[in-house]
Amino acid sequence: MGSGTRHNILAYVVLAPVSILMVVPLLLLISTAFKTLPEVMSIEFHWLPETFRLDNFRKAMAVAPFGRYYINTIIVVVMILSVQIITISLAAYAFARLKFRGRDIIFIFFLVQLLIPPQSIVVPNYHTISSLRLLNTKLAIGLVYFASAYGVFLMRQAFKAIPKEMEDSVRIDGGGGFTTIIHVFLPLAKPSLIAFAMVSISYHWNEFFWPLIVTDTKRARLLTVGLALLTQATESSPEWSLTMAATIIVIAPLLLSFIIFQKKFIQSFMHSGLKG
Amino acid sequence: MAGTLRSRRYEKVKPYLYLLPAFFFLFVFTYYPIFRAVYISFFNWSTDYPVKVFNGIKNYLDVLENKVFWQVIRNTIVYSFSTIFLSMFLGLFLAVQVNKNVRGGGVFKVALFYPMMIPGAAAALIWLWMYVPTYGVLDHLLAGIGLRGLPWLNSTKTALWCIVAVGVWKHVGYYMILFLAGLNNIPGELDDAARVEGAGSWTRFWRVTFPLLSSYTFFIFIINIVDSLQSIDLVYIMTRGKPDNSTNLIVYYIYQQAFRYWNMGVGSTLTSMLTVFLLICVVVIFSTIGRRVYYEA
Repeated sequence: MGSGTRHNILAYVVLAPVSILMVVPLLLLISTAFKTLPEVMSIEFHWLPETFRLDNFRKAMAVAPFGRYYINTIIVVVMILSVQIITISLAAYAFARLKFRGRDIIFIFFLVQLLIPPQSIVVPNYHTISSLRLLNTKLAIGLVYFASAYGVFLMRQAFKAIPKEMEDSVRIDGGGGFTTIIHVFLPLAKPSLIAFAMVSISYHWNEFFWPLIVTDTKRARLLTVGLALLTQATESSPEWSLTMAATIIVIAPLLLSFIIFQKKFIQSFMHSGLKG
Repeated sequence: MAGTLRSRRYEKVKPYLYLLPAFFFLFVFTYYPIFRAVYISFFNWSTDYPVKVFNGIKNYLDVLENKVFWQVIRNTIVYSFSTIFLSMFLGLFLAVQVNKNVRGGGVFKVALFYPMMIPGAAAALIWLWMYVPTYGVLDHLLAGIGLRGLPWLNSTKTALWCIVAVGVWKHVGYYMILFLAGLNNIPGELDDAARVEGAGSWTRFWRVTFPLLSSYTFFIFIINIVDSLQSIDLVYIMTRGKPDNSTNLIVYYIYQQAFRYWNMGVGSTLTSMLTVFLLICVVVIFSTIGRRVYYEA
């Protein structure tokens, strides 16, 4: 018992300072976003701004069309997730339940995608998107993610754990594969589906490089790209209070959702091990 | 009779039909691009040669002869290995502490994991601001211990390490979570048995817990090596590969060649080389532990 308590004290001694260090950038982000420019450039440093004004946020919204970027980002994230759910459930069902020639080889063929993520093949994918005349569209951002090997892997495991009898009851009622997937597999695999959705949403809300490559107009631009362009607009040092306010505008929805649903998010990422 | 025959034929084709949608996107945006990159790597195709001209392996020779390429490779290895080793080591250490069921463990988890929920581009901006010389925050905070006026991102000696620090900050919580998952899968009886035998916590960790985690650790390691080879957001925002290419990483280098200089031939050559390397990783994984992950699943 004594040793247990000593253990816990050691844990606190390690965890508390490390956690504080980890949070410093976040605190600084918030504090800078409310400061005035002279305060930021001052030689004297204070954690708290003199007054909490929203000027920087107003200015950020005026400088860049963040409203438009929000809508674009939400459309892209929802589009990707919806198509992914369809493609991965169908494929996962085949891998988990159907017998066919070449199943193992095809499965490995799928898994390879885990290791060849889109960043590494932007050059050829850019050409494909360009020859499809899809540059500067939201569809272009989404297309490359419509099949997720990670999703197939996760759902296949979930589907395999579902007892055969559940499936048979639907089959006797005359339901085919699609009916079985919709009425038996997806509802029973809900925890895995939610885990996948959370990882997918976080990943695509935060994505930067591919959207940067295929879009160069406001029409299709996402939040992260808009944020980066805001700072790149001026060659001189960016206006930090404005930049930090814009950063908060971009990261707030996901970060707040994470803080509210922390258990679910952390569980989902625990499952992931592999991203995508 | 005809009906059953048709339905039997359908039963044979059905699995492939279920795979078709996913397979289609996988083929068009993962497999086809690999072949296309290899194909284009044998051509001269840039702003000087708007029409592709076949030039054999010249692109490869040019790349291999370029000093910057080798520097990029070295930077990428340094970045990937140090980011992964540091964040895995710290992540494992923190996971062991959090796993002691301390009160307020949820708060610690949130504080350690939240950087994963911030886009790389945004994280890069926050840290860029911290690294600003003279009026930046790190200068203010470190003034207390006499470390004022470090060059941070402006020196070829420190810039890459500044980016490594951001990488570790961003990923350490993720590794902690992965290791927590691993620790939860280890049966408690083994640890208890060792405790009864009188093994101290240090011995128990290295002799019981760590070996049980090792195949898991290896898996995480490979997957994330591959993942970190792809980092570009931080470099793009913070340094653009500067100063003097000291922070230029492979994917940024590809981006530069293809989309800054519009040299698609060299861009494709580099892409092919990276892809071949990644495919070698795939083979290593499947011939070691991938198979087990597959069959146990």
